[in-house]
Amino acid sequence: MAGFLDEVAPLKATALAEFQAAADLPGLEQARVNSLGSHGRFTALMKQLGTLPKDEKPAAGKTINAAKLELEAALAARRVELELKAALPKEPTDFTLPGRRRLLGKLHPLTQITEDIVRSFRKIGFVVADGPEVEDEYHCFDALNTPADHPARDAQDTFYLAGPGGARQSSSLLRTHTSSVQIRVMKKQSPPVRIIVPGRVYRRDNADATHNPTFHQVEGLYVDRNVTVGDLKGTVEFVFKELMGPETRIRFRPHYFSYTEPSFEIDFSSALTRKMGKEWLEIAGCGMVHPQVFENVGYDPETWSGWAFGFGIERIAMIRYGINDIRLFYENDLRFLRQF
Amino acid sequence: MKVTLNWLKQYVDFEWSPEVLSERLTMLGIEVEGVRKIGGEFEGIVVAQVVSRDKHPNADKLSLCRVNEGKGERQIVCGAQNFKAGDKVALILPGASLPPKPGSEPFTIKVGKIRGVESQGMMCSPQELGLPDQVDGLLILREDARIGQPFAEYLGRSGTDVVYDLEITPNRPDLNSLIGIAREIAAITGTPLRLPDVTRATPQAPGSKDHGPASTHSVSDLVSVHLEDPELCPRYTARIITGVKIAPSPGWLSGTLEKVGIRSINNVVDATNYVMLETGQPLHAFDFHRLNAAPGQSCPSIVVRRAAEGETFRTLDGQERKLSNSALLIADETKSVALAGVMGGQNSEINLSTVDVLIESAYFNPQNIRATSKKLELRTESSYRFERGVDIGICDWASRRAAHLILETGGGVLADGAIDAYPSPTEPKQIALRHQKVKDLLGIDLQPEQIDGYLSQLELKVVGRKPRPVGAESSLPEPTTFRIPTFRVNLKREVDLIEEVARLYGVDRIPATPPRGAIGSNPFDSVHDQYAEARRILSGLGLFEAQGQTLISEAAARLVSGDNVVALANPLSSDMNVLRPSLLPGLLDSLRNNVSRKVYDVALFELGRVFNRPAGQGTSVAAAQPAACASGGATGEERRLGVALTGPRAPVFWSGGERDAKFDSYDLKGILEEFLEQFGLRGITYSRRPESSALFLESATIHLGKFQLGELGQLSPALARQYDLRDAAVVAELNLDMLMARRNSSKSFRPLAAFPPIRRDVAMVLPEATTHEAVLQVVKQAKPANLESVELFDVFRGKSVAAGQKSMAYGFTYRSAERTLTDTEVNAAHEKVVEQLKQKVQAVIRE
Repeated sequence: MAGFLDEVAPLKATALAEFQAAADLPGLEQARVNSLGSHGRFTALMKQLGTLPKDEKPAAGKTINAAKLELEAALAARRVELELKAALPKEPTDFTLPGRRRLLGKLHPLTQITEDIVRSFRKIGFVVADGPEVEDEYHCFDALNTPADHPARDAQDTFYLAGPGGARQSSSLLRTHTSSVQIRVMKKQSPPVRIIVPGRVYRRDNADATHNPTFHQVEGLYVDRNVTVGDLKGTVEFVFKELMGPETRIRFRPHYFSYTEPSFEIDFSSALTRKMGKEWLEIAGCGMVHPQVFENVGYDPETWSGWAFGFGIERIAMIRYGINDIRLFYENDLRFLRQF
Repeated sequence: MKVTLNWLKQYVDFEWSPEVLSERLTMLGIEVEGVRKIGGEFEGIVVAQVVSRDKHPNADKLSLCRVNEGKGERQIVCGAQNFKAGDKVALILPGASLPPKPGSEPFTIKVGKIRGVESQGMMCSPQELGLPDQVDGLLILREDARIGQPFAEYLGRSGTDVVYDLEITPNRPDLNSLIGIAREIAAITGTPLRLPDVTRATPQAPGSKDHGPASTHSVSDLVSVHLEDPELCPRYTARIITGVKIAPSPGWLSGTLEKVGIRSINNVVDATNYVMLETGQPLHAFDFHRLNAAPGQSCPSIVVRRAAEGETFRTLDGQERKLSNSALLIADETKSVALAGVMGGQNSEINLSTVDVLIESAYFNPQNIRATSKKLELRTESSYRFERGVDIGICDWASRRAAHLILETGGGVLADGAIDAYPSPTEPKQIALRHQKVKDLLGIDLQPEQIDGYLSQLELKVVGRKPRPVGAESSLPEPTTFRIPTFRVNLKREVDLIEEVARLYGVDRIPATPPRGAIGSNPFDSVHDQYAEARRILSGLGLFEAQGQTLISEAAARLVSGDNVVALANPLSSDMNVLRPSLLPGLLDSLRNNVSRKVYDVALFELGRVFNRPAGQGTSVAAAQPAACASGGATGEERRLGVALTGPRAPVFWSGGERDAKFDSYDLKGILEEFLEQFGLRGITYSRRPESSALFLESATIHLGKFQLGELGQLSPALARQYDLRDAAVVAELNLDMLMARRNSSKSFRPLAAFPPIRRDVAMVLPEATTHEAVLQVVKQAKPANLESVELFDVFRGKSVAAGQKSMAYGFTYRSAERTLTDTEVNAAHEKVVEQLKQKVQAVIRE
């Protein structure tokens, strides 16, 4: 009896050593067969259990079972180790190598700025409006109180469409500002009005670092009862702080536009302007809607007042990102587009 | 408009620094575009006298001098030879700098030793001073030069000044004058405006002194004025000065003009220019003897008339000008002498032999002057002012002022009186202002007295006040009526007065009120969001957003469009002479921009408008567009989506068989499929075009039911070459208005499948002409039970497949939402499909 149980410990030790020594999964399997297989040494030992006297069986059985469980646990652990080893690639992965990139496209910087502007205005109840880019003189000039002989109407400054035979089609032109949409919207809906109009506009300037015949503007229009210059200032300050950062300062200077009265130019001042060596930088034009414009669209200027303002999107983008040539926006060079 | 600080101070007192003036003008609405300090040159350089000149103890060619600079004597070492004791010279003192030579740093003088002897300054040559005098050695000054006098003063360039370049908005012609600017300053400082003296040209009491010799002539004996077209010339004044000596202007006059960029000519011309700058009223001086009388008449007559059609006139710049009937001329009885309001004539200009001068001060119709100036492409200081509208009320005063200056600088005798042809004098406008309206518009609460006070400072006179009813609320209307001075042509209605109040009160003092008020509404608002959504999907698919030019060349437009291109009447160049009929030419330009700069992998999209002259009105699309962009015009505007891909499909990678793959039509189609599905468009079909076109090598139109959405394909190799592309390009364009109108972006939840799928694969050989769509059509018509999806997973040709045939392998997934399917029932359904494929598209099943 004693001799029989004495074999358990050495057999277990041998088996554990073989498991540990196995270099791969087949080797481990061989080691398992050697001890725990149906003809294995440990299995043979268990078979001898039946030859023991009845009163010795429980104790001996317990000893052998404990050893068997221990062996099986060791076997499983070693198998996990060897499986992991087998899963490793032949060559280790070099995590400093560049990965297989999946490209995300980007929105054009003008779109990004426009979206920022639209988002700021929408926070305060504005909605986006739109109108045609091919306009007529009425919506682009007449209704906006532009004098009949104003230079802006010149073929020098404004693109007119050719009619049949190439001659100028007097009433069709490319809008020179988004303000024409003010007229279209007010003619269509009754006050109050609260719109913002981003869009393309056209001026007959040769392309250079600061001009492109096509560019983008945003127009804001608010018409309601009792709207004042104070409201205009409050909204402009809100929007520009959203756009240019909370430390931005805004200044209003009297100016002249035919469709607003009083009219102002807006300067702003921030770390950006100081970096450009200027305390104040002109950024937008604005004013209280001229009563003549209200009369033109059929609003009673005694009841309604309002303000409008507009600015160039390229200009904002150029200031914000430090872009020095407006033509870059229209070349779509990926080295440019990727930066925003 | 240029003004100087010292000049302004002649008309109004203010104590502001040059910087503060700049700031105050800006905040009044007069933008300061440039500030230039002048004078201040030759600082630290004084007139000095050489007291003694001895040889330098250590150098033969140098001399050692004692020099008196007014405050004492200095020891100076000098290398020049052309001077002696007693000469007066320009001495620069230590610490001062010589005028800088262009492109170099200024040279600063220090006390230093020259060959062992200290020199306490330097005597200057004209070259060192930057003066033109040709002297070898020192500049020797006149004997009467005062010792210690600043050298600048000696030169007559004394005094510093600041020149401001102001941007005057077109509504304020009154600010194109020194007095106009000074009036604004007076208004905000509350100090009085000081107008210059015109007394010498004002009728005198008999026997008064100091006003030159009394005239023996009355102006009406010398000349008459006849206005043929009072609409174009409502007022014309003339004064005559006889016996004037034409000479160079005195320094103060020529100096003042030169500071603001006007070349000095002679005393008479300078006087008229000076008064133009001072008052804003352009004047013209004629040589009176060049004006001819009509035959038989003793005195000449000035006729203001329209030019005859085709009449020519030589302006004083020597140009022969051909005029139309719309141009206005100043003429005598025999010839024309000036192009009214624009430029005088050579035949009557002031010259050295002029003795009698006629001063014209008139008002010309702004639109007419503008039209003439534009037609002749001749812009002058005079036409600039007339076309913006001068002060019709100031003609006579300006004429007197000019006469005064001519008498002062050229002597002579002023003929008595003046001709003032002014058939219907302009009545000053009157405008009523309700004080409550100031508050309503500006949002500030000002006392009526304050408001009236501001306006009075601008020389608006209260002419009437409706008395406030006893015990009335202050909110009741009680307008004050103001008389508007004639120089304020921009004040037309109540709101214009409110603007003046805002300016004088100070816009910066109006408190900002936080945003408030109504919520807006506009049908376009949702379109904007749809744009944003489309952009988000496309950029997520790896495309970069492009913005192309709207204006392109007609040649480029012809690539994609027929005869419906919209052309400009006045293009800048032939590169930009039509509106884009498609986004593709712009995208191709962008591909070229990148490839030519060696950026070869380019994937771009653009959302934008295109323009076409509608051939046949009323396509089925127009009505369905959400907030269609074109309303009314004859030009069709359509929103489109364009995509262009060229070059490597994926970023560079260092391993793998597909790494060199280039974008092809299937990449493009995959992008469109994903985009359209994500955007809410299902049931899209593609129809191959049988022929190549100028644009496409191979292409297909994209359809949704009966609507054609757009086209995609591979760019023709000829075009790819024309656009300098290295690799094949694939491009697509879709009608975005239609996509937005047709999309269904509503989403609803479908329960997740709970039972397992069963898959059956089938590989078959088909004739080359049989399309994938044809296969799917057969499957769809067979309506196999429980078919969940069909997936094409392989297409190949060659090897065991005969020529003209191809092998296509499909996976069919069957699944029921209610139960686990059995092999038997799936096989039954699947065999039915396979049978149909064999029959309908001649599929040969591969085992």
